[in-house]
Amino acid sequence: MTKNIIAFWGYPEKELIKKTKIEYPKAQWVDLDININAPDLKFLPENYCIIIKNMYNNALFLKDKIIKILAPIGKDKCDSAYFASEILKEAGFEVIQTTFEQQCKNLNEINIPISKSSLPLKEKIELITKNIIEQKDYSHLKPTKPKFGFWGVPPNDLSILELFPNETEVFGWCRAVEAGYPGDFQIETFADKNIPTIFFTQAFCSKTQLAKYLANKYDGLFIDVDCNANNSIKAKIEAFLKLR
Amino acid sequence: MEIYIDAGTTWTKILKIKNNEKSYEVIPTSKLKNLNLTPTKATGHSIIKTNNYENEVVALANGAKKYLEDNFIALDLGSRDIKWVKYQNKKFQDMDWNSSCASATGATVEMLLKFYNVKAEDLIFTKEKYAITCGIFGLEKIMDDVSNGLEPKIAISKFIHGIAYNAFAFTKNPDKICISGGFCENKCFIRCLEEYCKVIPLGRFVLVDGLKAMTN
Repeated sequence: MTKNIIAFWGYPEKELIKKTKIEYPKAQWVDLDININAPDLKFLPENYCIIIKNMYNNALFLKDKIIKILAPIGKDKCDSAYFASEILKEAGFEVIQTTFEQQCKNLNEINIPISKSSLPLKEKIELITKNIIEQKDYSHLKPTKPKFGFWGVPPNDLSILELFPNETEVFGWCRAVEAGYPGDFQIETFADKNIPTIFFTQAFCSKTQLAKYLANKYDGLFIDVDCNANNSIKAKIEAFLKLR
Repeated sequence: MEIYIDAGTTWTKILKIKNNEKSYEVIPTSKLKNLNLTPTKATGHSIIKTNNYENEVVALANGAKKYLEDNFIALDLGSRDIKWVKYQNKKFQDMDWNSSCASATGATVEMLLKFYNVKAEDLIFTKEKYAITCGIFGLEKIMDDVSNGLEPKIAISKFIHGIAYNAFAFTKNPDKICISGGFCENKCFIRCLEEYCKVIPLGRFVLVDGLKAMTN
């Protein structure tokens, strides 16, 4: 079988993406973080971060087609990704470890038109992750006056994003990714006291620590979800959005 | 006729208003379908979400508004979950909704009462409580103690004290709390909660009253 996929997770270093695009101009790029309904191969313990599970399940499911995996392992991703990169190497993948920890020197100059736009929240998050590879310019998007904030990573269950109004600003890792600084702690932990914000995290992710802390600090709502959001989680989000 | 429905997992609470006359009833949720009611507004886990559906915490906040505005916390302890809402200076401030484990809520207590053939009114306040952060472990303790000779009604009372303590901790240790839901009728539970804070039981119909208030 011909291998035609460049797989990645997180936000691989920009130069590496550029170099790989030149080297494999016809390759299809697959974000292993995203749930593509690959079979659960039970490679990890039952109670583990679903995003890391996705990375394994997707990689092993697509193994015959994957040329190589670009694997962020630094502060821009997490320790679990470092362990995964080493384990997947042992499983026979070509894995290129990358770190993308550059810090933004002037926070006032970050360019985040998608995060601040009036697009539906789900579309915003999907566009931000898609743009890791596409690198298109979205500066034509007009900013909206935010009514709410969403802080966090792209959820495994994207349906929770449909509960938010379009006037929702994006914070957290997604915002840092759009800004081009996925490992910048200041961008990732930025929130606005005047914008009621839901601090989302995947259960068993180390970012739970940040989400809980920031929810208290900014008087927001802390939400952690494992695989899929149940009715109570959705109702909790709805209530926050209605009562605030 | 206006009809407001709070369809919980086990019990459904109904408010009917005809010619300004209010009537309340509680029926098993399993019988709700047979009544073929068209609600003016509805809430609860067991209702189909249509245009007239309202979120449970929002209904709770509206039903308990005057107490919330007096800086009480409103807590609804149901068959399968527990949720609360808090206002400060007449504005929404905080809320939470347990969304995973239902092993230490109303349905478990009802099952225990049936299993040990104990009546709710026979439960009595006990100083001791089981630690029931996990309800399943709590059940194990009841079974151990009962097999060692403890009266089932005392064991269940200790379990209920554990639920009361959990409710207090879950709401972040408030000074005063309003209780909504079936536990209002459980004297043992109310007495246990009074060990920790001031308690006002609001009854089982807070959510349907909230739905009505939202319609106004």
